[in-house]
Amino acid sequence: MSVKVEVGAGGIPHNQVLIYGLVGSLVLIYLTYLNTYFQTQYFAFFGGLAAVAALIWGTDTIKHLCSYGLGTGVPSAGMIALGSGVIAALFGATTGVLAPIVTVIIAAIIGAVAGLMANAVVRMDIPVMVISLIELAIVGAMTVLGLAAMACGTFEFLGMITGTVSILGFTIQTYETSVIGGSIIAVIFMLGAIAIQHSFNACLGPGEQQDRTLTLAAECGFLSMITVAIISFAFIGMYAALVALVVSIIGWFYTYRKYIALSKRDAYAWLDAQPIMEPKGGA
Amino acid sequence: MSALGGPKQTGGVQSPTAIGIVISIVLIIVALGLAYYLVQMAGVIALVGIIIGGVLVAFGVHFVPVGGAPAAMGQSPGIATGVAMLAAGAGLAGLFGGAWAAPFGLAVALAGGAVGGGLLMAITCTMVNVIYIFGMGIPAASGKVDKDPITGDTFPEYKSQGTEGHGLPFISWIGGVVGGALGGLGGTLIYLELLDIYQAQLPVLLNATVEQIAPVAISLAGIFAVAMFLINAVLAAYNITGTIEGPHDPKFKRFPRAIIAAAVASAVAGIFAIALLELVGVF
Repeated sequence: MSVKVEVGAGGIPHNQVLIYGLVGSLVLIYLTYLNTYFQTQYFAFFGGLAAVAALIWGTDTIKHLCSYGLGTGVPSAGMIALGSGVIAALFGATTGVLAPIVTVIIAAIIGAVAGLMANAVVRMDIPVMVISLIELAIVGAMTVLGLAAMACGTFEFLGMITGTVSILGFTIQTYETSVIGGSIIAVIFMLGAIAIQHSFNACLGPGEQQDRTLTLAAECGFLSMITVAIISFAFIGMYAALVALVVSIIGWFYTYRKYIALSKRDAYAWLDAQPIMEPKGGA
Repeated sequence: MSALGGPKQTGGVQSPTAIGIVISIVLIIVALGLAYYLVQMAGVIALVGIIIGGVLVAFGVHFVPVGGAPAAMGQSPGIATGVAMLAAGAGLAGLFGGAWAAPFGLAVALAGGAVGGGLLMAITCTMVNVIYIFGMGIPAASGKVDKDPITGDTFPEYKSQGTEGHGLPFISWIGGVVGGALGGLGGTLIYLELLDIYQAQLPVLLNATVEQIAPVAISLAGIFAVAMFLINAVLAAYNITGTIEGPHDPKFKRFPRAIIAAAVASAVAGIFAIALLELVGVF
C-alpha cells in the first residue's frame, strides 16, 4: 500500500502532546485508586478518561510514525501498539499499587525491543521508529489498563480475576465472572485497537489538521468508554456504572459535536442535505 | 513516500546490522536465562515453544498474498487488505481451532490450529478470486513472475497495462493456505505453552482447583497469544513493506530478517508472559 500519507503542519508540538498524554493518563489512572482508598466504586470512570488521554497522545504518535510511509497501512501501528501494550498492562497489574508505573516501564522495554528489531534487523531505517514504538506500546498499555480498571473498578490483578455471583441470595466468589476470567480483556483489547487506529486513518490526507484528528481520537476513546461502561454493570455497583456511562456519553456527545464542527470548518463546502421525502399519495 | 525519508526501496536485501544481531543474541540468551531462573526447565521449554511459535507466525506471513489498497482497485495481485487484518483473521481462526482441540493433546491441538488458519485463508482466497473474476471481470495474473511455478500458466498476455498484475494466481492461493496454516500452528503453540504455565501456577497461587481457575488461565493464555501473534505479524509486515504476492515474490527472500526479529520480540514478550504470576502478592 504505497499510498502517500500527507500530514498537516502546525498545531501543538508532539513533545507537548506526549507530556500531557503520559502525565494525564498516569494521574487519571491513579485517581481510580480512590476506589480502594474510600472503599467505593464511583471513581472507576477515571480509568476510561486515562485511556482517552493515552489515545489522543497515541494518535499524534501514529501521525508522526506513519508520515514516513511504512507501507503497511496505519492499522498495523495500532495493532503492534495494543499487542505490546496488553502484555505490559497485565504484567504491570500484578504489582499492586505500583501497577501504572511498572506498566509504563515494561511497555517501554517491549516497545524498544520491537523498535530496535524493526530498525536494526528488518532495516526499516526510520529515525523515529524506536521512540514511536516505545510511545505506542505505552499508549496501548495505558489504554488496556485504563479500560480494564474502568470495567472492574481497580487496576490490580487480583481484582481483575475475581468476581462475585449471587445465587438465591448467597454471594459466592468465582473466577468466571471477572474481567480476565470472562475474557472481557479481549473485548477491551479490540476496543482500544480500533480507537487508536481509526482516527489518523480516517483523517489523513491533504488538509489534515491536528485538532480535528485529535478530536476524533477523543471521540473514538469515549465511544469505547461507552461500551466498557455498559460492560461494567456486570462487575461494579449499579450507580457507579451509571456514573461511568453518563460521563462517557457526555464526553462522546461533546467530542462528536466538536468533530463535526471542525470537519465543517476544514471542508471546502458543506451542504446540509435533507432526507428525501416521499410525495404524498405515492409516486 | 514522503520527503522525510522512509524505507529505501532497494532491489537487494539489506542485511541486518551487526549491532542488531548482537542485541538479538544477547536478548534471547537473557530471556532464556530469566525463564530458567523463574520457572526452571518448564520455563525454558515454554519460552522455546513461544519463540518457535512466533517465528512460525512471522514466516507464515511471508506466504500470504497481501495486496493492500492497490489490490482493491485490481491494480496489484493479492487480497485487498493489510497484513494486520489478514494475520489477525488467520491467527484467530487458528487459535480458536487449536484452543478447542487443546484437551486432546499437543499434536491434535496443533493440527487443529493449522487446519483452522489454513481453512480461513483457503475460503478467503477462493472468495477473493470469485469476486475478482466474476465480479470485477479481471483474470488472475502475477506481475512478478512470467510463469506459475506450479501449474505452468503464463501471465504476461493476461496482465493489463499499467498494473502490477491482478487477481490471485494459483501459486498465491497455495501460499495463502500455507501461510494461514503456519500462522495458526504458531499461534496455537504460543497458546498451549502459556496455558501449561498458568495451569500449573494459578492453582497454587490462588489455592483453588484447576477447574476453578480454568477461565482465567485460558483467557490469559489466549490474549497473550493474540498479542504476540500481532507483534510478530506486524514485524513481518514491516519486513515485506506491506505487500507481497506469495512464495514466488522476490520479497519472500527477505524472510530471514523477519525470523530474527520475531524470535527476539517473542522472547522478550514471552518472558513477561511467563513471569506474569511471579509478582502477584509481592507488593
